[in-house]
Amino acid sequence: MDITTTISALLTLAVFSFLYGDNPVYKFAERLLVGLAVGYALVINWQQTIIDRLYTPLFIDGRLALVVALVLGLLMFSRFKRSWAWLSGIPLAAMIGAGAGAALPAMLEARIFKQLSATVAVFHDASGAFEMFSAIVLLVGFVTTLGYFYFGVHRSNALAVSSKIGSYFLMIFFGATFGYTVMSRMSILIGRLDFLMRDWLGVIG
Amino acid sequence: MRKFLPISVSFVFGVLMFALWFEDSESRSMLHFTLIDYWQIIFAFGLLVGVVSFISVASRKISRGEEPFYNGVLIFGALLMPTLAMIDGLQPNSYFQWMFENVQAPMQSSVFALLAFFVASAAFRGFRARNAQSIILLLVALIVIIGRAPMGEFVWGGFDELIQWIRDFPSTSAKRAVLIGIGLGSVTTSLRVIFGVERTYLGER
Amino acid sequence: MDSLITILATIVAGLVTFWTARLIHRGRKYHLREIAGIKALEDAVGRAAEMGRPILYTPGYGGDIQRPTTIASMNILSVVAEKTAEYNCELIYPTHDPIIMATAQEVVRESYSRVGKIDRFNPDNIYYVSSSQFGYAAGVEGEIVRKKPASIFLLGTFEAESLILAESGAAVGAVQIAGTDSTIQLAFFLIACDYTLFGEELFAASGYLSGNEATLASVWAQDIMRILCVSFVALGILSALFFPESSWWKL
Repeated sequence: MDITTTISALLTLAVFSFLYGDNPVYKFAERLLVGLAVGYALVINWQQTIIDRLYTPLFIDGRLALVVALVLGLLMFSRFKRSWAWLSGIPLAAMIGAGAGAALPAMLEARIFKQLSATVAVFHDASGAFEMFSAIVLLVGFVTTLGYFYFGVHRSNALAVSSKIGSYFLMIFFGATFGYTVMSRMSILIGRLDFLMRDWLGVIG
Repeated sequence: MRKFLPISVSFVFGVLMFALWFEDSESRSMLHFTLIDYWQIIFAFGLLVGVVSFISVASRKISRGEEPFYNGVLIFGALLMPTLAMIDGLQPNSYFQWMFENVQAPMQSSVFALLAFFVASAAFRGFRARNAQSIILLLVALIVIIGRAPMGEFVWGGFDELIQWIRDFPSTSAKRAVLIGIGLGSVTTSLRVIFGVERTYLGER
Repeated sequence: MDSLITILATIVAGLVTFWTARLIHRGRKYHLREIAGIKALEDAVGRAAEMGRPILYTPGYGGDIQRPTTIASMNILSVVAEKTAEYNCELIYPTHDPIIMATAQEVVRESYSRVGKIDRFNPDNIYYVSSSQFGYAAGVEGEIVRKKPASIFLLGTFEAESLILAESGAAVGAVQIAGTDSTIQLAFFLIACDYTLFGEELFAASGYLSGNEATLASVWAQDIMRILCVSFVALGILSALFFPESSWWKL
């Protein structure tokens, strides 16, 4: 039971004390964690981004393309003076615009094309009655769930019924996701308890 | 000017990132990597603003007499990591790494482990059979949990196949529709951002 | 070929969105059906005002400002902030991302300004917690149990922290409205929160609440594109069944 393990174990217990309710021990641990995490992010970003990606390439290797990034970055400091704060909108707009430009094709390909093709492929690859039945279940679920997300007013009964069936398929999806995730969450808790029992207390051999 | 400049910047970077998507992934251009550096650099400057705001908010609370001890712990944590990094760097076995591995990381893992308890409490509260939808969700979740648990195969040998079928067909059908919906929402939002119609981030409605 | 399809699809999406925007601009009505979570968003602010307790709004750990979901969440934040300003209600916005913090400060400031309550805007209430997932989770969880907000909005991209926040909110009796594009976390929100906006509903909510013509046109365009998607699958299946050699549907 060395001092390092004891510190880690006591902090683990301090976090777990939240299960008893908010209390001074938890509050201390929470504030310490948040503070350390902020400091950690600051150090890592300083070293890996400001030094390694900006200072060294720009001022030592002379990669002048980074001047624009430096200017955009410095504009973030305009937030400290109210009358200049609008200037911080420029780097924000650059990031948001770039995000939109990258998201557009990525979403089309990964979220739309891939899903559409995969749905058709199930029918293409189906051989035998049961596989065809499964493919039909998939199609019904797919179409009715898409119907569930139709946002215009449902002017036809068919759309309302489809939407209702779609909501059942959504519940199957959520139930399955919940079931799968419960098991993985339990294993994380077991890992923490194992640390307390084995590494700290040495109760488990 | 205050709106035109950010909107123009957003358009230029949006179109640029969209065009860069179609580059061959194996021969990414220098421009592509430079832009990735840009976002990292802007983020790093943003983080400096965030940390200043973090410390000043906590300091103001202390000066107002709001939980001076706990807010002091926040500031202490945030300043401790950079101080340790300045003393002996970031290399393995440094004070900085020791603090991360033995204080910050165990607390992070413990907060993650709390999830197991929250999953249990959510299940008790949420699994009330209120209507057909919640009954379906409950049933599917139970099938997956029991089937994936070691005792599952003793209860019924067909659990594995049933869970796989649920996952591959009814669950996947709804998941695909959800993904397509998110894709469509993301595509239209991205178009609005690139063409400057979406300006909420600049404070407009 | 793949690139060409993506470019064509982008053009189609752009044209459909442009067309619906023109129709709405010319006075054509597009009626959104009622979505329980969206109605609840409006009521939740009133509840907080009545109870004299704050509202907590957080966009989750999974997103950054470059994600369309975060932009949709900002749209909703702008409406919620206007209402909190009108009702003299405190709005707390913790986030893991300093860029989101800066953007949210601007959005909320302008919302307060629009309803003539700029003097009540407190930038300290929109703050950066930490970039660590569970540091953020612990910080927001602590805020929830201590400030006991009357209403909690969990709208954005969430990861494993979703249930920590939602269960803490449930423990203090807050009305919780969640919405996310994270498919795994939707199940947890559905179980732990009072109302959940599933994926695309988050985008629809931003159009519905803001009443903004362009955003509403986008939601309409999404409906039209959804029909195109179903048509594609229908044609693809017919083709796959009757012409198994065809492969045009493999995008």
